[in-house]
Amino acid sequence: MRRRLLLAFLLASVSCAWAAGKIFPYAYVQEDLPNGLRLVTIPTDFPNIVSLYIVVGAGSRNEVEPGKTGYAHLFEHLMFRGTAEYPPEKYNATLKTAGAASNAFTTADFTAYHTTFSKEDLPVILSMEADRFQHLDYPEADFKTETLAVLGEYNKDSADPFSKLFEELCATAFRVHTYGHTTMGFLKDVQAMPEGYQYGKDFFSRYYRPEYTTIIVAGDIDPKRVRALIDERWGNWKRGSFHAQIPAEPPQDGPRRAHVDWPSETLPLLTVDWRGPAYSDDTMDTVALDAISRLGFDQNSPLYQKLVVDEQKVDYLSAGPPNNLDPQFFGVSARVKDAKDLASVEEQIKTTARSFAEKPVDPKKLEALKQHLRYEFALQLDNSESIAATVAQYVALRRTPETMNRYYDMSAKLTPADIQRVAKKVLIDRNLDVVTLTSTVPAAATKGAAQ
Amino acid sequence: MIRSFLFATLALVAAAALNAQPKVVELPGKSPLVTIRLVFTTGAASDPADKPGVASLTAQMLSNGGTKSLTYQQITEALYPMATGISAYSDKEMSTFVGQTHADNLEKFYAIMRDMILNPGWRPEDFTRVRDDQVNALRVSLRGNNDEELGKEALYTLIYAGHPYGHENLGAVSALQNMSVSDLQAFHRQHYTQANLIIGLAGGYPAGFAARVKQDFAALPAGTPDRFALPQPASLSHNQATIIEKDTRSVAWSLGFPIDVKRGDPDFVPLLVASAWLGQHRDSSGRLYNRMREIRGLNYGDYSYIEYFPSGMFQFEPDPNLARHLQIFQLWIRPVEPPDAVFSLRLALFELDHLIKNGISASDFEKTRSFLSKYVNILTKTKSAELGYAIDSQYYGMPDYNTYLKAALAKITVEDVNRAVRQHLRPDRLQIAGVAKDAATLKASLTSGAPSPKHYNSEKPREILDEDKIVEAWPLGLKPEDVTIVPVATVFEQ
Repeated sequence: MRRRLLLAFLLASVSCAWAAGKIFPYAYVQEDLPNGLRLVTIPTDFPNIVSLYIVVGAGSRNEVEPGKTGYAHLFEHLMFRGTAEYPPEKYNATLKTAGAASNAFTTADFTAYHTTFSKEDLPVILSMEADRFQHLDYPEADFKTETLAVLGEYNKDSADPFSKLFEELCATAFRVHTYGHTTMGFLKDVQAMPEGYQYGKDFFSRYYRPEYTTIIVAGDIDPKRVRALIDERWGNWKRGSFHAQIPAEPPQDGPRRAHVDWPSETLPLLTVDWRGPAYSDDTMDTVALDAISRLGFDQNSPLYQKLVVDEQKVDYLSAGPPNNLDPQFFGVSARVKDAKDLASVEEQIKTTARSFAEKPVDPKKLEALKQHLRYEFALQLDNSESIAATVAQYVALRRTPETMNRYYDMSAKLTPADIQRVAKKVLIDRNLDVVTLTSTVPAAATKGAAQ
Repeated sequence: MIRSFLFATLALVAAAALNAQPKVVELPGKSPLVTIRLVFTTGAASDPADKPGVASLTAQMLSNGGTKSLTYQQITEALYPMATGISAYSDKEMSTFVGQTHADNLEKFYAIMRDMILNPGWRPEDFTRVRDDQVNALRVSLRGNNDEELGKEALYTLIYAGHPYGHENLGAVSALQNMSVSDLQAFHRQHYTQANLIIGLAGGYPAGFAARVKQDFAALPAGTPDRFALPQPASLSHNQATIIEKDTRSVAWSLGFPIDVKRGDPDFVPLLVASAWLGQHRDSSGRLYNRMREIRGLNYGDYSYIEYFPSGMFQFEPDPNLARHLQIFQLWIRPVEPPDAVFSLRLALFELDHLIKNGISASDFEKTRSFLSKYVNILTKTKSAELGYAIDSQYYGMPDYNTYLKAALAKITVEDVNRAVRQHLRPDRLQIAGVAKDAATLKASLTSGAPSPKHYNSEKPREILDEDKIVEAWPLGLKPEDVTIVPVATVFEQ
């Protein structure tokens, strides 16, 4: 049986990956421990390297208490503050000896801890990770110091106007739901974090539990051996009982807009967003909006060619579908070379979006897009770390890699009529949020050509 | 007589042509993906003095413009179903074109990539757009929106002032605004030659493909390899600082000095161990990270480099094909709160001094050696990266990087590391680049000699408080005339 699986996998990975039907070409094993912890193991054909992603289903979406924005992200930092068995010095020394690349990131919906290393170090890395997920223990002084590293992260990001644009967009569109703040949190909350030691403990106790956690191990591995290691070190982790009450955002009652004055040199920025549905792998909603984002705004789209290539009024144009646990945005962002063109570019983005509701797309263009999507997916699976990272993004949404296959199956069935129906439902003025950002510095950079 | 002279001439031409053939680096494999890296060993160091940025703009024009037979729009249309693209980047001595495709699409993909370089379209409308992008990359992306990369790039221009490495790779705004398509065509004719070309192929390409690529690129002029006149920059007599003034929340520091060590040199690996001990890029186990962030909460991280590593804001591993004959030692201090700016700089200098005086311990040496010998597998985890490193090794004239590094690490001792540290690193005569809002106040603090105590929001161990007493008064060696304030709007303009 094992040999057949291996053969099937090898065939899949060296030939056209989707010939067999499923987009994800690797034979993975998904299994649950009695405590609710989920394990996904993915043997790949890339030698020596193993990539471990631990996905915790808590992000800034879970920050429901006022004044406590940014705690999911702070917690990502605190997880490196050690345990009795592995104080930070020992933890870091072990990673160092293993030659591991280790880091973590937080999103609105989840937090992921990832380590990539040589296969012989798998037992020690899994043990060490099990220890910190179950026995994290840091003094208040360390907590306070770590809050300053988070402020340092806020500082490094604060020079980027896109961060501010997105922050303003979230606050404009969401008045009740926790998507109203970014993962970094409000600056005043970040600055108040040093006093939040007890809340930090509560956050850990709520969400750092097996039922919220999925472990992904991809690379040069034997799934049975990985399972044995997981049973040994993670099997006694106690299940929790907390369920966050995330407030639902009522439907938007009309278009909204906001503006940001930026104190440094930048080109004007614009984001045009429609409140959209949540991620879905069993309806056409997400795949249809994904198709619109690409057909309408990708490099080969008529609008991109007009604004960026022909008229050269815009030097960045990008769109994306809502891909979150709860309803979020279908968004289009642009960087405009001259502020006088902001209104016109905004109108053209809206007109392009509306056109998908007005008439069905060209079926040939849709077929070319489907081909693009499948090649795009195959091209990103070029090493074990990328494979684990890709799986982690989907696992965060549905806790199984199978959602990738379901999503791309839906995408393969997408019709021009589906796109039109979803556009009519979502891309309407009532759902619209627009934010602009311009520099207050006089004579900022505009066009580069000699005047 | 005439006949023999003719024979001699022909023989010479033949020898030159043979010498001028492109080099080919191959990493064939079973993967369904194919990576193509075309590296021309030319770059900003070959920019004419009055045309800084022309190498970079040429590479961008080729990769983001049309070919003779296809407009840029048609190229975008053709590449779209393949879900791929072709990107280019230029450094001092290399201009790199890289693309990856599924093997299904190799022929169509390769034909576009080949024509980008062999048969560029040079359309004026492409030129205007690409030049605008490059000007805005300088003014907006670097100068306006990214204090850390701004500081790091400024440090290089300060260290190499008046040198072929002395201008930003992207050039200067005024020079870019005065450039024309003919400048790019001239650069292309002179430097995009067979002699400068290294062809890199990796993955599941068919038999005979490499020979065909080589044959196609024989259409380039034979040329001679670029020769760079690269003296070591003059050493400073004492520390110098430049503060770039802009409206920003925090203070970013980059500091360093030239070193006479590059990849493949005997002291490269010992210095790499020392640098990794201070702080490997984005690694949380380094000395600086521990002392500055973990213990004192000064910022988001602090790292050390002995090779050029642009875009560290956005990536964990360096891009390959940034090979240089000259490198600097550099510390990257990520943005700190303004009240901690001087203390942070002092702490970085204190740690550098500590390393030089005390070296690293035998146990730290063993840990760092183990780290580097395994981490190299991660550096080359993709075929594209592995290919890039193989091309760099070809350029440096050394074995493949994994083999080289592991063999050298196995041989060296902690004494080798500490000797190399004493020989090549120093705690003074540094160039310091800062990005800050209130430059005049910062300059006054840097040059006053007054202590800059650190105040904490939590209890600290006695050992740290005692050390702080030393750090807060650590000599910066800066007099008012050593600190220059530069308005951000003037940086990279001329």
